[in-house]
Amino acid sequence: MVQWSGRRTYLTVLAFIGPTLLGILIFNIYPILFNTYISFTNRNQFHPNPDCSVGLTGIFEPTCWSVFKKSAPQGLGTPFRLQNPIYANYVDLLGDFFTAPVLLAAFKIFLCFVPLIIGVQINRRYKNQFDRPISSGMMITIAILIGFLLIYILKIPEALDTIMKSGDFFVVTFRTIVYVAACIPLFFIVGLSLALLLNVPDLPGRTFFRVALIVPWAASTVAIMMSLVWKFFFQEKGTINQVLGTMGIKGQVWLNDPTIAFLVIVLANVWYSYPFFMVTILGALQSIPSEIYEAAEVDGANYLQKLSNITLPLLRVAVIPVIVLSSITTFQMFGTVWAITGGGPSRGAGTPGATELVMVYAYKQVFQTAAYGRMGAFALIMFVLLFAATLYSLRLSRITARGA
Amino acid sequence: MNRKTKPTVRIIQVILAILATFFAVYPVWFVLLASGRAGQRLLTLNLLGTFIPTEWSFENYQVMLFQQPFLDWIRNSFFVAIMTTISCLLIATSAAFAFSRMRFYGRESGLVLFLAIQSFPGVLSLVPIAQLLSAIGLYKNLWGLIMAYVAGTLIFTTMNLKGYFDTIPIDLEEAAMIDGCGPVQSFFLIALPLARPAIAITALFAFMAGWGEYVLASVLIPAPDTAVTAMVGLYKMANQLSVPWGYFAAGAVMIIIPILIVFLYLQRYLEGGLTLGGVKG
Repeated sequence: MVQWSGRRTYLTVLAFIGPTLLGILIFNIYPILFNTYISFTNRNQFHPNPDCSVGLTGIFEPTCWSVFKKSAPQGLGTPFRLQNPIYANYVDLLGDFFTAPVLLAAFKIFLCFVPLIIGVQINRRYKNQFDRPISSGMMITIAILIGFLLIYILKIPEALDTIMKSGDFFVVTFRTIVYVAACIPLFFIVGLSLALLLNVPDLPGRTFFRVALIVPWAASTVAIMMSLVWKFFFQEKGTINQVLGTMGIKGQVWLNDPTIAFLVIVLANVWYSYPFFMVTILGALQSIPSEIYEAAEVDGANYLQKLSNITLPLLRVAVIPVIVLSSITTFQMFGTVWAITGGGPSRGAGTPGATELVMVYAYKQVFQTAAYGRMGAFALIMFVLLFAATLYSLRLSRITARGA
Repeated sequence: MNRKTKPTVRIIQVILAILATFFAVYPVWFVLLASGRAGQRLLTLNLLGTFIPTEWSFENYQVMLFQQPFLDWIRNSFFVAIMTTISCLLIATSAAFAFSRMRFYGRESGLVLFLAIQSFPGVLSLVPIAQLLSAIGLYKNLWGLIMAYVAGTLIFTTMNLKGYFDTIPIDLEEAAMIDGCGPVQSFFLIALPLARPAIAITALFAFMAGWGEYVLASVLIPAPDTAVTAMVGLYKMANQLSVPWGYFAAGAVMIIIPILIVFLYLQRYLEGGLTLGGVKG
């Protein structure tokens, strides 16, 4: 490894990474710190303005810095101050999560995943053995079946209901998790099928299809605009209803139905995201040597066996980082949902709408009701969750890279 | 592998491919059709018109170009995207080089921290950023927006370029070092020219990030009408009480088509460009 010696090494390093550090410090780390501080105050539409004489406010609030002081907003109303108790916003958000019935409900839901976790652990233990007591697919199937049985026995829908009633936070978070869980498998399935299709060597018009199928990726750079088009398809006087109309069926206002609105944002997101999966999988497919397939054919393997025993395991290394990356970006999905449904259809005042994912919820709370303090707490909780997920995924992708 | 595919299987394959292509291309095709239709409607009276061009006029394009502030929007967007790309490359290449080639305290943990920081919900850092920019007088200013974009794409570009620098053999630089070449020379004369493909892909992504972004732009430059970027302008247009759909479609086409052409032209590099760096661990 090159090592430039000399006492000015650190100055050189600083010169190289200084601008990047500065940018990240100002535009990434400062907002995080600022949000953390605000999350402990009662800043909202009634107390929007800072009181610069309070020590920490004077440090964090840019309009308080002596250089910019003349541009500080002078508003009516008392300035915001620290909450009493200081974690009041967090209590407000998490509501009565830490009460016996809600905790019990959460525990019940956790119990349903226990069989799956045990199954995966057992599979991992027997990973490289030939004469295993039970095949891995069978193990997972049994685990999932027991999970479903538990859902029935423990009355999970009721437990979910209990948690949902304990605050908006859980409603939007749960909904976002459902959204991610609906989107990612679809991305993968659509991406995989199309990649397999494009990988057929003598498919007529292969180049054309390859180019055409990548169009949504290009369009996703102007996602907000294409989302308006998707919205138009499902409007009352939109394309779908027009096509239905000529068949003599009277369509409905699709986006007013909570379930359909949710499916529409899933569909639009699939449209944007499958090309990324398709291109990655296609690249990985082409790097699998054909000798493996030929050997399998000699042994009499059929298409499905080849797919499940050769293709899918060899795709794992390429696909897992993509899945993790997409999960995190899907969790933070904002623009598409905002343009198509705006978080609606409404389910009554004061409750989040049917497609209000976490970011849409946060945006609405900040820009429509100016709940800065509460949303600071919300951001921090989300950040901790996503931070943990990112660190875990880094570990995961490193493990798979080594296993390859 | 050399078996002949059965005709039925082949037919199913082709039908699937055609269906998928329809799904992929139709929304863009729909906008293209609507942009050529006179009158402010997306709906056509005959069903055929929703699928193939039955009428075509350039009226919407003319109105968009000459009677609306569309050219201003495009100029703003273009300026922002170009400046974002240039500043981002200037800043990120040097940092990526340092992270790839130099050993210093906190290198590994710094990289992990960068990635983790990115998971902070962007929507919620809008308010602090807007406040900061208004304090230094760059609120409602394209330069403020550019600064925010550069910072936003910095982590991704640094990671991507670092991954590529890692794949360049170090022997060249070692040879140069023996001849007395310092880090700065080594960066400009050896590493940068070798990293050209990765820089091209990174530039493409930075440009697209600046060209198509909406949320930051709508918050940092909300008004006046001639100062906004194309995304914000068109989105506003589509949220009026009676939407001028024809104008909107024409504007959308003029924004999407250039991106589409560049993208499809560069698509064979995409796969390579993305897996060049980053995810190799």
